[in-house]
This record gives sequence, structure tokens and C-alpha cells, in this order.
Amino acid sequence: MEKCKARIDSIYNGSAVDGKGLRCVVFFTGCNMRCGFCHNPETWTEKGREVTLEEVVAKIKRYKSYIKNGGVTLSGGEPFLQAEFCIELIKALRGENISVIIETNGLIANRELIEICDGVRLDIKNQDREVDGRVYKFLDICETLDKAVTMTNVLVPTLNDTVDRLDTLKKIKNTYSCIKELKFLAFRKLCESKYERLNMPFPYQKYEEGSKADLDKAYAYMNA
Amino acid sequence: MKFEQWNGFKEGEYQEKIDVRGFINLNYTPYEGDKSFLTGPTERTKKVMEKVNKLLKKEMDKGGVLDVDTERVSGLLAYEPGYIDKKLDIIVGFQTDEPLKRGVNPFGGIRMARNACEAYGYKLSDKIEENFKYATTHNDGVFHVYTDEMRAARKVGIITGLPDAYGRGRIIGDYRRVALYGVDYLIEQKTKDKAEYGKNVMTEDNIRTLEELYQQIQALNDLKGMAQKYGYDISKPASNAKEAIQWLYFGYLAAIKEQNGAAMSLGRTSTFLDIYIQRDIDNGVLTEEEAQELMDDFVIKLRLSRQLRTPEYNDLFGGDPTWTTESVGGMSLDGRTLVTKNSFRVLNTLYTLGSAPEPNLTILWSDKLPENFKKFCAQVSIDTDSIQYENDDIMRPMYGDDYAIACCVSAMQVGKQMQFFGARCNLAKLLLLTLNGGKDENMGIQVAPEGKKFSGKLDYNEVMKAFDKYCAWMSRLYINTLNVIHRMHDKYAYEKIQMALHDTEVKRFMACGVAGLSVIADSLSAIKYAEVTPIYGENDLIVDFEIKGDFPKYGNDDDRVDSIAVEVLTKFSNELKKNETYRGSEHTLSALTITSNVVYGKKTGSTPDGRKKGEPFAPGANPMHNREVCGALASLNSVSKLPYNCCQDGISNTFSILPNALGDNMEKRVDNLSDMLNGYFENGGHHLNVNVLDREKLITAMENPDMYPNITIRVSGYAVNFHKLSKPQQLEVLKRTYHGEM
Repeated sequence: MEKCKARIDSIYNGSAVDGKGLRCVVFFTGCNMRCGFCHNPETWTEKGREVTLEEVVAKIKRYKSYIKNGGVTLSGGEPFLQAEFCIELIKALRGENISVIIETNGLIANRELIEICDGVRLDIKNQDREVDGRVYKFLDICETLDKAVTMTNVLVPTLNDTVDRLDTLKKIKNTYSCIKELKFLAFRKLCESKYERLNMPFPYQKYEEGSKADLDKAYAYMNA
Repeated sequence: MKFEQWNGFKEGEYQEKIDVRGFINLNYTPYEGDKSFLTGPTERTKKVMEKVNKLLKKEMDKGGVLDVDTERVSGLLAYEPGYIDKKLDIIVGFQTDEPLKRGVNPFGGIRMARNACEAYGYKLSDKIEENFKYATTHNDGVFHVYTDEMRAARKVGIITGLPDAYGRGRIIGDYRRVALYGVDYLIEQKTKDKAEYGKNVMTEDNIRTLEELYQQIQALNDLKGMAQKYGYDISKPASNAKEAIQWLYFGYLAAIKEQNGAAMSLGRTSTFLDIYIQRDIDNGVLTEEEAQELMDDFVIKLRLSRQLRTPEYNDLFGGDPTWTTESVGGMSLDGRTLVTKNSFRVLNTLYTLGSAPEPNLTILWSDKLPENFKKFCAQVSIDTDSIQYENDDIMRPMYGDDYAIACCVSAMQVGKQMQFFGARCNLAKLLLLTLNGGKDENMGIQVAPEGKKFSGKLDYNEVMKAFDKYCAWMSRLYINTLNVIHRMHDKYAYEKIQMALHDTEVKRFMACGVAGLSVIADSLSAIKYAEVTPIYGENDLIVDFEIKGDFPKYGNDDDRVDSIAVEVLTKFSNELKKNETYRGSEHTLSALTITSNVVYGKKTGSTPDGRKKGEPFAPGANPMHNREVCGALASLNSVSKLPYNCCQDGISNTFSILPNALGDNMEKRVDNLSDMLNGYFENGGHHLNVNVLDREKLITAMENPDMYPNITIRVSGYAVNFHKLSKPQQLEVLKRTYHGEM
């Protein structure tokens, strides 16, 4: 079955920052964006390795004892580019009583995938652009399906911690009741070495890392 | 028999014979609640701690040893009483007449005692030198018998850390017996046993037992004498909580005065003591604040226990550890939790007194532990990095519900089982010896019988075939060496007081160990899955390896290599069992290194996994540093595959994770750490040291010791004050994998 294969970069077992509890994170390769702060640029160009559904399910099952209160996060890259596989994977994991959420940029509003997953982490890309119109479509579906969304946003000092950028986020959050939470993520440069290894320029090299104070300021503004 | 000191306790068989477990089972009060009942330190405790911290600072400033009594040989009656402050101390007793002053114990070996004195600018008194001219020490005895082969194996370091010049330790006296029964009853029982053994045929074994019983009875009499010096009569049972702690501590104190074993562990005392504390609280004669104060003062005394060591010893066992291991929690065989309020109190000392490496608080983790207790433990780990965890659910079926951990990971039934500590064999070196046809790769000595020389690309099956042969050779030599050591230890440095606090019929383990497990697993994986070709140097010895291609590495939950680690362990364990042991002891095995992984690495040439000559091994059963790339849980899964049933003396895993990687707030971190522990132990993992800390903090601490004077970290089965590690040990700790840096 052709559709039950996918290209992934890796599976990371034991993340505590990609959703509730301890999680296994499946990093899919391939992305429809090229964000300047991206932590996984290897997923842009490298093909990754081909895996079968059974293989991924078997791998994740090995961590069942740890992820009872957490689950699996599909990330990438952009998992919605391999939506069919994701749907099958979620079905299979549901059979194992494992909850699955998806991290996405929200450009591909695949209704079936949104419907079947246990939650969405939608990362709003507004650092060097306005929020893409497709994101609203994506959110409309989430709203109709009452799918819990955690909205995340990578805060790059001077770039998108400005009042107008934050106002847009505020507006989105207030428009959609399905958005349960907004989390700012500080821009970090830990991925610098990856760019070096890939022989690619790190687009956001010139920006400062976000600090806790930057995050606090942004939260304070959002809650004001 | 019935003692008035037992009023209020439920009656049972423990009143007819020594049965501490039975007493606990009948009388303890399980506690499922949370930490909210706990109290802080009293004004008195704070005052005492001020004095203690000053003393500790002085000790550190003096290079690690505050003072040495070079005039006396350490013993139960050798010193006058010592106090921090006679008016403030509640629980009393020090090893010598002053806190942190170290005694001299030459029974293990006079040279070791002499060198240790000299290393810190002291000179062993002429009187002791003179006396020991005419005495045979344990060290003398061993070397009288050691064969050339044993000496060679020791010299090249294929077996290292052997307790042939110092006390073997790892024996836990059942110090609770002193409190529950009083010393007179214990003497009475041993006297009866001696009469019974007197009826047997006088074989060598029986004569030895009779002589040991004589020594045990003497030691019990001395124990009473020692307590007398502090103004206590401990011939009768303890009548309240304070006395119970004091009596128990006297038992332990006697042991650490008599012996300088590497690990002098305390046992499983907190729930036992809770019974006395609860009785006093119920009778309205003790408040919660006073109960905590008692435990605080007890723990202060435990923290100040010291032994005199040589610098070489510190290289193996860094940070001046004593392994005053106290096992906390676990479940009883009838399904109730053994967690009591006092389990919380003993952990609370890390807050009331500040974090510290000793006592080595060890949580016996079970899936069934009360959630509140699990959360509290996780919180303590995150806040203090001072505690470790071991899997009660796999140990309880083997040892019942009254076992404790000696040293780091060695389980034994308290008062009923003991072990002969056997240090460890360097498996990575054994592989190199195999590839070099029985020669040591560094010194070129033909240590083992000459075997096949390898050249060209290594063939996995051929290497394994040769390795099997050397495994058999090593096992025989290793067990033989241990037999010599323990025969001589029994003969010249017998643990009189500790064995007096055991049943006379005791089960013994021969506790062997391995180091370099991850190095050999990855090396064999490289040979199997990549192309590995030895590079020969001048003396026809392999100096390095050319490695072409990639290979699976232990620590990534990859069965291809993890199964190699399992196979090697199983193989070695099976080989050991083919060799007869001293006193019919049962062979056990551990994957544990303490901090000796640094020294082992230093003594081992380049290995086929790409590790260069002299580079440290990973500690214990840990995967090699930074080869784990599939996440923290994958690393844990690899280690949890190692079978406890062939590695019954413990499988040590030290785990470091960045606080942020565990969650973005405290509540999540506590939950996630608790989930991680549950998962690891459910999968059959045996032991986990948990550090939740930033590498940056350690670097800062290394550069500015005064900024974090009490920074405690878990290393390998124990905790240390980071500043007490040697520089190479500190650097090795920094090199380790800190999960979370993606």
C-alpha cells in the first residue's frame, strides 16, 4: 500500500515541550515554508528515510509506558504534506490508546486530518510577513469541529514583538474560541550548527535570541 | 519475652525471636497523604547547621581533610565522646572525639593507612607503626597468596578497584535491632547460637563460625561500652523515638568506627523509626516539629561520617563518598505501601538542612507507590539532584520487602544477607586483550594465555569466538582473586559489629562487576555492522582502529546493538557461575563504575567504537556520552533491556536532563519526571540517578566554587558535592549527555 509509507527525518522519544506530558515526536521531512528561524532545516531539502506505517507504530509502542499522560506529536517539516499517512497513523495509534497531536503551520487545511487528531499546535508565522490567509481557513475548520488548538508563535526580538504583530495575534485569539492557549516560544540559535553542517546560510543569524523578559513582555501585552 | 519499652506496640512473633520485619509489618502506619504536614528546621537546627557549615568549609579549605587522629587505631572504645555542641546535640556520637576528625584504620593495610596520613600532611604515630609490625593485615594476607597471574591482571587494570587494601564494605548491619531489642538480648541470642555451633563437628568452617561468634559477642559488649561513654545504657530496648534513633545510630556508629569499608550503608530505617515517632506523637509527647528535628539531627550526624582515604582511592571513588545509603519507600508483600510520614521527613532533610550527597537517599520505586509520594520525590530530585531511584517491583520478588541497598545498587535482605564486594572487570580491556592475543594493549604484558592474532578487517564471529575463550579465562581468574581477598578479609579484618547485627546463618553473595559495557557493546557493533581494521604499533600491539561506515550505537533503543550488550552481560554472568566461590556465596553481577569510569578509560587503549586511548568510559550501564540521539526515552529503553536476573547486583544508569527539557513549569516537570520514572521501571529498568540541571550552572560552579558551595549532583549510584570531584571527573561530568539539547 503506497499510501502507508512516509518520509520522515527521525523520531525523537521523550520531548516534554511539544504538548502535554512526555511525547514521542515524529519529524516528517518536506516543508511548504522556509522560515528564517527554522530549527529543522534538514527537513526542507533532505529526503529523510522512507518508513512504513507498521514501522512507526511499532517504534512508538515501545514507549507506551512513558507516554500514558502524554502521547505522540506529529511535527516536521510540515506533517500536513503527508496527510494520508498521518491519518492512518493516528487511527493505528488510537487503537493503542495513544493520543496524537499535530504541529503545523496551518497552510494546508485538511479537514479529515484535523478532525481525527487529538489536538493541534498551530505555529503562526508572522515574523517577516503578514499571517497567511490560508491559516484562517484552517482555523475556521478547527472552530467548526471544536478542535482544541494551542497557538504558538516564535518571538524574534524587534521582528515580531511589535505592537501591530501582537495585535494581530490577539485578534486571532479572540476570534476563535477553539484556541485554548497562546504560547510564545523564544527564538533560539541552537540550530546554528545544523545550518553549518548543511552548508546553508542561517537566515536569522543577525537577530538576537529571545529572552524570558521578551516573552514576559509579550504575554503581559496579550493579557492587558 | 516482653519489654515495657514495647508498650503500645502490637504483639507478635518478633517478641519471641529477632524479627524486625515482622515488627514493622505489624506496627507501621502507611501514609498516602501529601507533604503539607512537613515542618521546617527549628532554631536549634539552624544554629547547629551554621556550625556544621563552618566546619565543612574549613575541611574544604584544608584540602578535604580537617584533621586526623594519628595516635590511635580506630575502634569502638578508642576515643572520648565528640560533639558539635554538647548543649545543642540531640543525637550524639562521632567516629573520633571531634566532628570531621578522621580515625586511622590499618587493619585493611598499614601502607594504605600510612600513605593516607602522609597525603594530607600527617604522620602515622610510631606506636601504631610499631604495633602493626607484628600484625598481619588483610592486605598482607592477600598478597601472601596472590599468584603472578593475579598480580599481572591487577597491574594492567583488567580487574581494578579490588578491596585488597581497604575494608570491603557493602555490608549492612541491621542497626534497627539495637533499638528494638537492646544489646543484652542480642548478646543472649548470639551466645545461644555459639552454644549450638559448639555441638557440631569441628570442621574448619565450624571453627571459623565459632571464632566469629566470639568476636561478635565481644563487639556487642564494646557497643554497650561505647554508648556508656556518651552516657547511655543501651542494654535494653529504646523506649521512645529519640532513643530509637540514638540506639540505631550507635549501632551504625560502631560499624563506621570499626570498619572503613568503601560503602557503609545504613539500611532501611525511616519506616522503622516512624513507628516510634508515631507512638510518641499519639501519646502527645512529641510534636511534628520535634520529630523533624530528631530526624534532622540524625541526618546531620550521618552527613559528617568520614573515612581516611588515599588520593588513588579518590580517583576511583571520587568526592569522598561514604554511601550511607538509606532505602526509602517501596511496597510491602501484603500490598500496603511502606511509605510513612517519616519517609517524607527523611527526604525533607534536604530542605531543612540543605542539599547534600549523604546519606545516599534511595527511593524504592513501585508503580503502586502513593501518587503524593511519587510527586514529592520528583520534586526533591528537581530541587536538589540528591536522590536516586531503584525498582522495588523487580527487587521485591527476589528479596522480599525488608531488603535495603548497599552502596549504590546492591540489594540485600537486612540482617539476613551480605555480600563480598568484588569491584569490577574492565570489559573493554578484555576485548582489546582478546584482539591482542592475550596481551595487555598498553604494557604489552602477556596477561592471559597466548591466543590468535587478528589482522585485517575484523570478522565478528571470529572475534566473538576468541572473546568467549578469554571470558572464561577472565571469569576463573576473577573469582579466584575474589576468593583470596574475602578469605583474608574474614581472617584479618572481620566485620565484628556488623555481623553481630546479622542472623548467624547468613546468605552471602559474590558481587562481581563490569565496567565499560557501552564501550564493548558499541565496539562489537562496529565490528559487526561497519568495517573495523586494527592498526598495529611498534610492539605488535594494536594502537588504534580504522573504522569505515556507520554502526548502531547503544542508547538509541536499537535492538541490533542493545542485544549485543545483553549478550555480553549474560555471557559473562554465565561464565562467572562456573567457578566455585568462597563460603558458597552466590555469584551476582553489577554494571556499575562509581566514578572509576574515568580511571578505567585512562588505562584502556583505543577501542573499535572510535573511543580514543585514555578517554573516559560512560559510567555504569550508561550509553557512551552523546551517542544517544533518539531522545531520553530511547536511551532509557536501551538500558532497561539489560536483564536484572543476570545482573542482580544492580544496573546503574545516570541520567541528566535540562530543567526546560522536562517542562516549562515546575508542575509539569514534576509530572513528567514522575511519568519518566514510572515508564522506565515498568519496562524493567533497575536504577536511575536523576540530575535535573543546566550544564552552564556546573561550568559556573567549576569556575566560581563559592557561588554554589553545596552544589550536589548524582554521579553513579551516589551523589557528590561537585567541588569534591577531581578536575578530570568534573570534566567527564560535563561531557555527559544532557537530554534536551536538540
